Amino acid sequence: MNAFEYVNPSNLQDVPQLLSQKRDRKSVVMAGGIDLLGELKDNLITPDRLVNIKALDLRYIRHSKEGVRMGATTTLSDLVSDEEIVKTYTALAEAAESVASLQIRNVGTIGGNLCQRPRCWYFRGEEFHCLKKGGHKCFAVDGENKYHAVMGGGPCHIVHPSDTAPALIALHATIKIHGPNGERTVPAADFFLLPMENLYQETVVHSNEVVTEIFIPKPKAGTKSTYLKFKEKGSMDFALAAAAVALRVEGGVCKDVQVVLGGVAPKPWQADASALVGQVVTEERVVAFANTVLKDAAPLRDNAFKVTLSKTMIKRGVLALV
Amino acid sequence: MATQEEDYLGITDYKVIGTRPIRHDGVDKVTGRAKYGADIDLAGMLHGKVLRSPHAHARIKSIDISKAEAHPGVRSVITVKDLPLQEDQIKDLGEGAANLMDLRCNVLAEGKVLYHGHAVVAVAATDANVAEEALDLIDVEYEVLSPVLTVHDATAEGAPLLFENQTTKSLGEDTGKKSNVTTHFQHKLGDVEAGFEKADIVVEREFDTATVHQGYIEPQNATALWNADGQVTVWCSTQGAFTVREQTAQLLDLPVSQVKVVPMEIGGGFGGKIRVYLEPLAAVLSKKTGRPVKMVMSRTEVLQATGPTAGSYIKCKMGVTNEGKIVAAQATLMYESGGFPGNWAAPGSMCIFSPYNIADVQIDGYEVLVNKPQTMAYRAPGATNAAFASETVIDEICEALGADPFEFRLQNTSKEGTRRADGPTFPRIGNEECLQLARETDHYKSKLEGKARGRGVASGFWFNAGLKSSASASVNADGKISLVEGSTDIGGSRAALAMQLAETLGLKSEDIKPQVADTDSVGETDVTGGSRTTFATGWAVHKVGLDIKAQMIERAAKLWEVAAEEVSYVDGVLTNSADASKQMTFAELAGKLGETGGPVMGRATVQPPGVGGAFSTVIVDVEVDTETGKVEILRASIIQDVGKAIHPSYVEGQMQGGVAQGIGWALNEEYVYREDGTLANGSLLDYRMPTCLDLPMIETHIVEVPNPGHPYGVRGVGEVPIVPPPAAVANAIYDAIGVRLFDLPMSPGRVLEALLKKD
Repeated sequence: MNAFEYVNPSNLQDVPQLLSQKRDRKSVVMAGGIDLLGELKDNLITPDRLVNIKALDLRYIRHSKEGVRMGATTTLSDLVSDEEIVKTYTALAEAAESVASLQIRNVGTIGGNLCQRPRCWYFRGEEFHCLKKGGHKCFAVDGENKYHAVMGGGPCHIVHPSDTAPALIALHATIKIHGPNGERTVPAADFFLLPMENLYQETVVHSNEVVTEIFIPKPKAGTKSTYLKFKEKGSMDFALAAAAVALRVEGGVCKDVQVVLGGVAPKPWQADASALVGQVVTEERVVAFANTVLKDAAPLRDNAFKVTLSKTMIKRGVLALV
Repeated sequence: MATQEEDYLGITDYKVIGTRPIRHDGVDKVTGRAKYGADIDLAGMLHGKVLRSPHAHARIKSIDISKAEAHPGVRSVITVKDLPLQEDQIKDLGEGAANLMDLRCNVLAEGKVLYHGHAVVAVAATDANVAEEALDLIDVEYEVLSPVLTVHDATAEGAPLLFENQTTKSLGEDTGKKSNVTTHFQHKLGDVEAGFEKADIVVEREFDTATVHQGYIEPQNATALWNADGQVTVWCSTQGAFTVREQTAQLLDLPVSQVKVVPMEIGGGFGGKIRVYLEPLAAVLSKKTGRPVKMVMSRTEVLQATGPTAGSYIKCKMGVTNEGKIVAAQATLMYESGGFPGNWAAPGSMCIFSPYNIADVQIDGYEVLVNKPQTMAYRAPGATNAAFASETVIDEICEALGADPFEFRLQNTSKEGTRRADGPTFPRIGNEECLQLARETDHYKSKLEGKARGRGVASGFWFNAGLKSSASASVNADGKISLVEGSTDIGGSRAALAMQLAETLGLKSEDIKPQVADTDSVGETDVTGGSRTTFATGWAVHKVGLDIKAQMIERAAKLWEVAAEEVSYVDGVLTNSADASKQMTFAELAGKLGETGGPVMGRATVQPPGVGGAFSTVIVDVEVDTETGKVEILRASIIQDVGKAIHPSYVEGQMQGGVAQGIGWALNEEYVYREDGTLANGSLLDYRMPTCLDLPMIETHIVEVPNPGHPYGVRGVGEVPIVPPPAAVANAIYDAIGVRLFDLPMSPGRVLEALLKKD
């Protein structure tokens, strides 16, 4: 870890300036610091300045009839213990609760969970100057790739590690970003980038911007949602495959369904579930749907099992809500 | 020397042994006041860091430390040139031996780096961050070589050699053949070919197990002070202060008496804290700077450069008659040594068929160099890999015969008088008693219902160690005893030792104040390893008790002006047999020592021969999620012969801990090396050890078949519980889904792929 300056702004307007990157000075945002500390310790980044945003009053959950607004530094534990989120935005509460350990959820924030960097062991390994770090090769292609992407990969094959992201996309969330030109709001579905769009960042947030708020519109009455996560180890692990599902069934017929996969692609993978709309949701139809979602999967040498896992997560996730 | 039959006292009415008093170090531990190596802070102390190899296999062409030396705050930079040369000489480390030349090249690489994380340069600076900055200023030029990462790669035709002149020693003879195989050994009993001819059913299978780490929570650390008078003091986390002293003194070319090692509290070892890594570096850095130097490894360094235990390839073949008698068994064990010769294939071979009475056996072992850290002992080292193979084959045989796994094992059980393939004949052992109890447990009798659920059983053996132990104790005026012993306390041994001393003297556990001493304050004591501490150091404290007892009797005799033979000593009360009205408690007499000749101290050193081998049997119920490959442990029980449980809670804790680690080894744990030989998962996030959230409460059943070689019948406890779990889990998975897995770990991906293959 290198030496760095630590700043603690109390005014959001100051943040873009503090984050502005000079040629030989790099600044990064710090919220809970959970992923950041790992990045620093692994020498993945060597910033000159950490901009702590915890003094910005961004830790809040505000319910209204339109939906819920959550400040970026709201902790994952805050989400888990908010009864209205558990009831109305269940997938988000379940996703937040599936993250790591209680200690980490008490510190880790929703903003940080969306902006964390991938766990790929080539990306994290100091010895590997991989594509994402400006190198010329994705080492996962011919390497140890049992945890890597089975969809949306190429030229880099990371998986996005966030649990809350698939849930937010399934719930039609939008994300507010503050930058030098003020605020902009991006649908959660457009927040993440594939490596073929941008190799060096996983989100649309620029280095002089900061996520400030997440908004989820109130789901239509009758909508149920869930987040199902499969971990290699039962406790404290990232997803090998996960599915966030939001479903509205009326009179036995599916009116609306959203399925977003986690842990299988470089960004949360939104499935086109329109085939299920207007149908009675049966196991057979869900299995057929899951097969369609995964039909273009392109597993690497060691991760074909993740295709099966993903189908299982979709099937179980959807059927759990019927 | 006393025969073993005479060693066991046969006491049936223990007063202290078998009870569950609060451990003596408990309050310090739960309040966070216990001092570990990382807590050390000395005046003027510098901090040391190690530059490690980014390559798995490379020639070091040059090392330029000039920029680091010039960096502000840096006080010293050392390479292997700063360590005295060593001869090609083997030194015993207590549990396993080391070649001093290799040890020197392991603590700082010379000429070549042999694994990712191999230490190359060490730096001491005013603080840890400065030391780390200095590491970035060191230029090492490498010529990168191809690594070999498995025994298969390493033994392939034309494989790169770790040591260009390494030849294979086969059955004691140098073959002259250049190879990564350093040693081939063999055990033979009877005639294995003839044995297999008698068999009606023969099962032969091949197994691969991953390299795994001991996973102790406290990273290695060392602080050293090389004083102006040439005396060196080392504070560290170790299983054996005396082996650290020996290794450090040898590597520094000092007489052992010039080195004092102070063992701090230890946060786990499991066999991994015996070899030195940092101690000699901290000492040399201290010599060069005249200041104390502290070094603490990061978790990544621990995983990259300490431990691990060997990954292995095992071929196992067993033959039985239709009547269920095992008539022949054969195994080939190829174990990884890591970057330097020597490993635990030999103990694996001593254990693999030892739960059974088999007339015709042949075992071939191979020690194979690979570009991984030099392997270290891990809880019954070598035996878990071996039992995974043999106990899976046994399970398949039981299935072929339609036999109950316990009936089959009981029919073939090894017992007193059974000859092991590696030579020894068993004294009294409790293998059969474990199997009998296992068969009667509520767990085994319970019905397991449900889809994709299965039950597996497996047995395991570990021979345990004796070695040297020393202890002394002084009687305080209030009748309490200060006990000084040399075994570092990993699993509650202070309590187990204090209780044995209390039992011998008829006192209470809390009357004894045990303390682990540094190497200048107690006689030589080997490592806390080989499950030997409660046994061997227990022997020593028992003898200390007898010494004190004899002296106290003499003092009472003096007071009463009678002959010593006239004084009886029962349950801590001394009585004049000639005049029963004359009685004194131990404490009363302790208050009168001044008037009877001064303080009383007891002392003993032992090297007890009567080591009692240990057996355990594990029953595991699993549920396999056939759509994800996830194996959930529903229930696990361990039945183990411990000889005598001194403090049953800590015995149960050892049994549960061993099973927990065995389950981790079975299901999740593995070193993942990238194709260039660098370790991919050097953190506990990516190296998946189970936590208490991943396991059910492990049920324990203590069997007590006294070890005839110990006054209280103690056998070792700590190691054998890790031996059966991987095989038991594999057998349970087969029972659940009808798929046999021959490779560890049995992670979800692997289980799922096996299921897909089956369909």
